[in-house]
Amino acid sequence: MNRPLAKAALILIGMYIVLVYVLPLFTAPLPASLIYLYLALTLSAVLIYYTISGTTLEEFMGPIVRFLSGVDQVGPAKTARLLVLIVFPLLVGWQTYTRLAPSDLPPPENRTIHPAPPGEFVGLSNPFPKTPENIMMGKGLYAAYCSPCHGANYDGKGPAAPGFNPPPANFRDPGTIAQLQESYLFWRIKKGGVGLPVEGMPWKSAMPRWEVELPDEFIWKIIMGEYDGAGQSPRTWEEEE
Amino acid sequence: MSEVAVLQLIGLVVVGIGLLILLFIKAMFVRVVGFVIIMLGIFSLIALGVPQMPSLPPAIETFDLASVKTPDDLAAIGQKIFFSKGQCALCHSIGPSESARCPDLKGIGAKLTPEFIYESLTQPQAYIYLDYRHQGPPKEYPARMPYINKNPIALSDQEIYSVIAFLQKMSGEPISIKVEDVMQLANTQQTMTVAAAHRSSDFERVNPTESTDAPESGEAK
Amino acid sequence: MEYENEKRMWSPLVERIGIPVILGAAVMLIAVFVPVLVWAQDAITQAMSVEYRDIPGIGSRNVIWVVAQQHLLLAGFVLGVPIFAWVCELVGWKTKEPRYDKLAKEFTKLLTSAYATTALFGGILLFLLIGLYPKLMAYLTDIFFPSFVVYCILFLLETCTLYMYWYGWDAMQGSKKGLHLFLGFLLNLFAIGIMIVPNAWATFQASPVVISEGSAIERAWAATWNPTWWPVNIHRLIANVVLGGFICGAYAGIRYLLAATKEEREHYDWMGYVGNFIGVFGMLPLPFAGYWLMREIYQYNQQMGITLMGGFLAWLFILQAMLIGVLFLGANYYFWMGITYRIPGSEQNYRKPILAMLVVLMICLGVWMTPHSLVASLEEARKMGGAHHPLLGVFGVMSAKMTVSNLMILVTFMSFIMYWRAGKQETATWAKVAKAVMGALLVIAGIAVIVLGVWGYFVPAIIRINYFSVAQVLIVLFIMLTFTPLTAALMKSAKTTTEMVWGQMPIRAGYCLVSNAVMVILLMSLMGYARSSSRVHWHIYGVMRDTSEYAYSPALGYAAAFMSLNTFLFCLLVAFIFWVATMGEKGKALPKEGLRESPGKVPEGIAPALAGGSPTSEEISRT
Repeated sequence: MNRPLAKAALILIGMYIVLVYVLPLFTAPLPASLIYLYLALTLSAVLIYYTISGTTLEEFMGPIVRFLSGVDQVGPAKTARLLVLIVFPLLVGWQTYTRLAPSDLPPPENRTIHPAPPGEFVGLSNPFPKTPENIMMGKGLYAAYCSPCHGANYDGKGPAAPGFNPPPANFRDPGTIAQLQESYLFWRIKKGGVGLPVEGMPWKSAMPRWEVELPDEFIWKIIMGEYDGAGQSPRTWEEEE
Repeated sequence: MSEVAVLQLIGLVVVGIGLLILLFIKAMFVRVVGFVIIMLGIFSLIALGVPQMPSLPPAIETFDLASVKTPDDLAAIGQKIFFSKGQCALCHSIGPSESARCPDLKGIGAKLTPEFIYESLTQPQAYIYLDYRHQGPPKEYPARMPYINKNPIALSDQEIYSVIAFLQKMSGEPISIKVEDVMQLANTQQTMTVAAAHRSSDFERVNPTESTDAPESGEAK
Repeated sequence: MEYENEKRMWSPLVERIGIPVILGAAVMLIAVFVPVLVWAQDAITQAMSVEYRDIPGIGSRNVIWVVAQQHLLLAGFVLGVPIFAWVCELVGWKTKEPRYDKLAKEFTKLLTSAYATTALFGGILLFLLIGLYPKLMAYLTDIFFPSFVVYCILFLLETCTLYMYWYGWDAMQGSKKGLHLFLGFLLNLFAIGIMIVPNAWATFQASPVVISEGSAIERAWAATWNPTWWPVNIHRLIANVVLGGFICGAYAGIRYLLAATKEEREHYDWMGYVGNFIGVFGMLPLPFAGYWLMREIYQYNQQMGITLMGGFLAWLFILQAMLIGVLFLGANYYFWMGITYRIPGSEQNYRKPILAMLVVLMICLGVWMTPHSLVASLEEARKMGGAHHPLLGVFGVMSAKMTVSNLMILVTFMSFIMYWRAGKQETATWAKVAKAVMGALLVIAGIAVIVLGVWGYFVPAIIRINYFSVAQVLIVLFIMLTFTPLTAALMKSAKTTTEMVWGQMPIRAGYCLVSNAVMVILLMSLMGYARSSSRVHWHIYGVMRDTSEYAYSPALGYAAAFMSLNTFLFCLLVAFIFWVATMGEKGKALPKEGLRESPGKVPEGIAPALAGGSPTSEEISRT
């Protein structure tokens, strides 16, 4: 006997177990928003699959409809139906309550890590040639000014790093400077955290505004040293280099 | 109630109406309408559930020329002009770019004297040819470069010199434009608004009487 | 008589108060009015310098938003349907099947009233723009005036052609059909012209070029050829076909739901199939066109690209993925239901392939909808070690999205091929070889797309964008371009084992068609918002700043409410247009039907115009 309902329930439960318990064994746990998304997709896949033809639709929906309508029900089924009809609204109410109840947790945040830079910083390129001396100088400046937070290994794990939330950027992560152009770094170093647009939540970043202390020349050279030290190369539009 | 909460409420009400229609109304067309509003309501609710982030326009920055003390200050103003009012970046790039339609200006401040750059900006037909990579005898085409000191861009001499200072800086050169010289350039206005300046220049096009030097359109040498 | 009365009234007045008094009054009047005149002068200069006007309470931008969206959607419909109708007419002419011709005519009929409505909204939009945004309009007029003239001429030509095309339909049957088809071709040509001329105005706002001095025509021409003009043209052209197809599908879906007779059900089932088919076929190349457009935007101005993809609009693309996902699922769902319901007894044979396709589609959708930066509570973020989840950084980037969208296109295409071959038995001797080759090609293509996608993580962005993504697109296009003729050749000699049965689809198929149309309209509204808000606070990007109080871009939720409203209004408008168009036909059709068929078959109890509509003829059903 084909039991599509049981199968569907198994698939959903299996998916939930994988997402919540199995996946964290390999990587960081998923946030609830994503678990909901993936479960919703699984559910819609199940629904689509069982409603493609008339017979599967009947196999799938029939028991649900019969159970809920309560026609010719006796014994435990009747009680179960009554329970469902009572518990379900309560569940919805509870959900609503937990979402609306005041809590001491900060609201989920969505900070844009790499917001669009202001126009005048988009089209710049490093005016200094990539010579070993310049890179060396950049690394020296990096060690002096940047490494306390971003780390001597360019991994965002400097001695001062644990004090910050959000943590200092890890330049070895391919999702950071490797995705960006040199002009972008120039903007971020020069204008610092307070120079971010609203979506970047300037109040959260502790990055200093280096234009106050460093001349542009130093900043450009630090960028050079940073890329070299982290083993990354800036995103470019030209194919060579 | 916040705007988001109001909209969420409206969305929920719309979905609710749709569900009621589907539950109790038999007329097929009305049912389809109910179905459609349920979909639209759910879409709105989902869109209201993702992070809400309006994009606010940045403040219009005003530069007080009196505050310009060093050549670097001048270059900073030039940088703003280069990428906004001057419209230079619509064609030129600094550094290689796939999209640049005109010469790359990287290192231009080291290659050319300020006087030459000034002439290129104000008399684009003097030395520049359409085919800028062209070797050999000049072609007869007019340059595509517009007159920067005339409408619609119409930068003042002070602004042009700031841009030149910026270009020199971007070439890793010492800035040879002197702040005192720029300050001395006869100019009636004491402050120049970089972003807001579009308004006045646009307005001049609408109201030609107010513009100081109307462009001689259609004149290509 | 009246004059006399007046004279009698006035003359004693003059006599009594005397001329000096009147003169004095006149002087007084002048004294009063001169300042007024001066004020008026001021008002005139002021009016010349007005930059914005507002509609209090509603907001000028919101009004423009709604009207422009209605105009654009209607325009998309009006430009999409002739392409659709013309192709149908061509097919009908080639295959000698009258039902295609009939379908084409049915839609051209809608065109005439839809065309007028579009023009009406265009007029309203123009007046509103001139009134509410005079500064911007003055600037654009200054640059684009010559193309305004071209636009008007095109409009005249289009109108003439449309009326000749529609009113000449019956007169030009038979030997003159070629001429009629040529008219249809001209109609589409002018329609495309009408689309691309205003596109230049809109794209100039997003990607302006420097206007040098020159003649008016030279300047307009330079501004027209801006970097995103052609990408937008192509993107909109394809999207219009999709819109036309899916709206046709939705119309058929509703008529199917309302149908009272078997013939009606058969006809509208078939029409829904054709509409869905055209929509899907337009949709397959659409992501490629979108990708091209996005790339041009990135190249034109990186800031704009980042605003779109990574900045404040990043979540918009998650919504877009959701809508496209629902659309893809809906289209496939309709195909799959078509197989199981229209081909009796085929259900068991197709369960496994359908399941496989569904799983692939869902995995792709899951990857596509995974955002790059997540919504996470503080606690969750701590557990993850920052807002960057290691796994999702992998799914969130362009390389992954490109790969899955290509795979989804591939699956949808295979869905269609499966539908095409369903219920048929190949008889050609080379059928086995061909099928094996096709299977092998499909597997290789799928693997190649995935390999390129994964490899894309390890090469510089520019290589990925310039070579890998292009290669993926070419692979998918190659599959589509080889499979279609191959299958056509196979099907030519195939014998039909199970005849398609029309009119058997369940109710949810009708709803599915409606849902697809709504998704397309929502998508167009959403991307319209994206296009417009990617300019952030500029009227003309980097050239003319928006200094009005509406320079900000609203958040996504607020915008989505507007998109929903616009979609709903557009659906109502289209329903109204369809209703009006079918109203006339009812009077003619019903008596005929009544004569031909038993009176019991006349639909009753349903909204009469919508239900009693099109005469359904016997040649419709193939069985």
